[in-house]
Amino acid sequence: MKRNLYLPFSALLAVLMSPASAMAADADEYVAALEKAQSQICEAATRVQLWNTSEALLEEAAEAAAKGNFDEGIKLANEAALHAELAVATAVREKKNWHLYVPK
Amino acid sequence: MKKLIVACFLTVMMASAHATPEQDRLALRAFFQERFPKLDLNEMINGLYAFDEGAREQWLEMEDFPPYEIAIEEGEEAFNKPFANGKTYADCFANGGMGVKQDFPYFDVGTGEIITMEYAINKCRTDNDEEPLPWLVGELAQIAAYMAYTSRGNKMNVVIPDDPRALAAYEAGKEYYYTRRGQLEFACENCHMQSAGMMLRADRLSGMLGQATHWPVYRSKWGEIGTIQKRFQECNSQVRAKPYEAQSQEYRQLEYFLSYMSNGMELNGPASRR
Ligand code: HEC
Repeated sequence: MKRNLYLPFSALLAVLMSPASAMAADADEYVAALEKAQSQICEAATRVQLWNTSEALLEEAAEAAAKGNFDEGIKLANEAALHAELAVATAVREKKNWHLYVPK
Repeated sequence: MKKLIVACFLTVMMASAHATPEQDRLALRAFFQERFPKLDLNEMINGLYAFDEGAREQWLEMEDFPPYEIAIEEGEEAFNKPFANGKTYADCFANGGMGVKQDFPYFDVGTGEIITMEYAINKCRTDNDEEPLPWLVGELAQIAAYMAYTSRGNKMNVVIPDDPRALAAYEAGKEYYYTRRGQLEFACENCHMQSAGMMLRADRLSGMLGQATHWPVYRSKWGEIGTIQKRFQECNSQVRAKPYEAQSQEYRQLEYFLSYMSNGMELNGPASRR
């Protein structure tokens, strides 16, 4: 799993060999989206609330980026981040509420 | 004087925020008795079959030739096979490992860890320089099945000693059980308390009470015998929450809480389920 979270070597190559600077900017954006998603995922995991979707989405993102498809990579990384953000929102709410469901 | 009143108030607050495990257990039994006034709660050791007459008949037929029987035999053989150093599993457990399942999981005062039976079996191996076994199915589950079999009829007797670390582990397991999680935002409680006895797609849902008495379980869907933490993983995945590793701290705490809730109920493992 872990190795998939980093920008794969092939993706780097795709960036370096591309003459278009627009492509390079996309790669930077992808890395930024990836890092944001990773930190959201850590946050959700720390709160014992990770969905089983986020890491899978990030793997798909890495695959897309590896093929040089950064738009798709960014889209998927953002989705992974959103899922983790929603999990954190649940965590915050449930921390306050869970004990209300315990029979007294 | 003022100080004293404040102090008392705080104590009352604390007490209501943290019911004792025994208060929790009794309240849980009352909850199920109120939901199912005619049900003998002791029947809940049979899971969903306590609620479903038709499924129960099919299950009783299956129990005529129990699919877990081979696992018990294989488990017995593995249990008795000495390690390379000549020691055996029996050396690691009280009473030679026979009829001890009711005491698991327990809180280990030395390490502060929750020790499930599977955890203890693998610890026995590593303490004797053997490789640990995979956690969820296979030889470990078979050994657990044999040990559970020798404990049939005993009453669940999980102890939470007067140690803040033990109580914290229990509370963490309890919080896990009642916390909504996953993309579908379901807590264990939503399915196994609010919806106990009802249908979820093709499955009738068992209730929390008695859910820990009969492990490991031979499930037709698995085609083999598996441990309770395999079931935890499945239940997490169903609501699209990321499951924990088997025998992670989270799952051991969850099993500690869940097992305590079944205290006083008869052990009937291993069991078969659809
Ligand atoms: C979306 C509903 C749902 C949620 C949430 C859920 N489960 Fe389940 N669980 C099931 C279904 C369905 C079964 C199979 C039918 C049965 O035996 O209840 C099952 C079975 C089980 C069993 C086996 C019961 C038996 O008699 O063998 C255990 C133990 C269990 N769940 C524990 C948990 C725990 C712990 C949680 C919370 C982490 C949880 N479940 C959350 C649906 C759910």
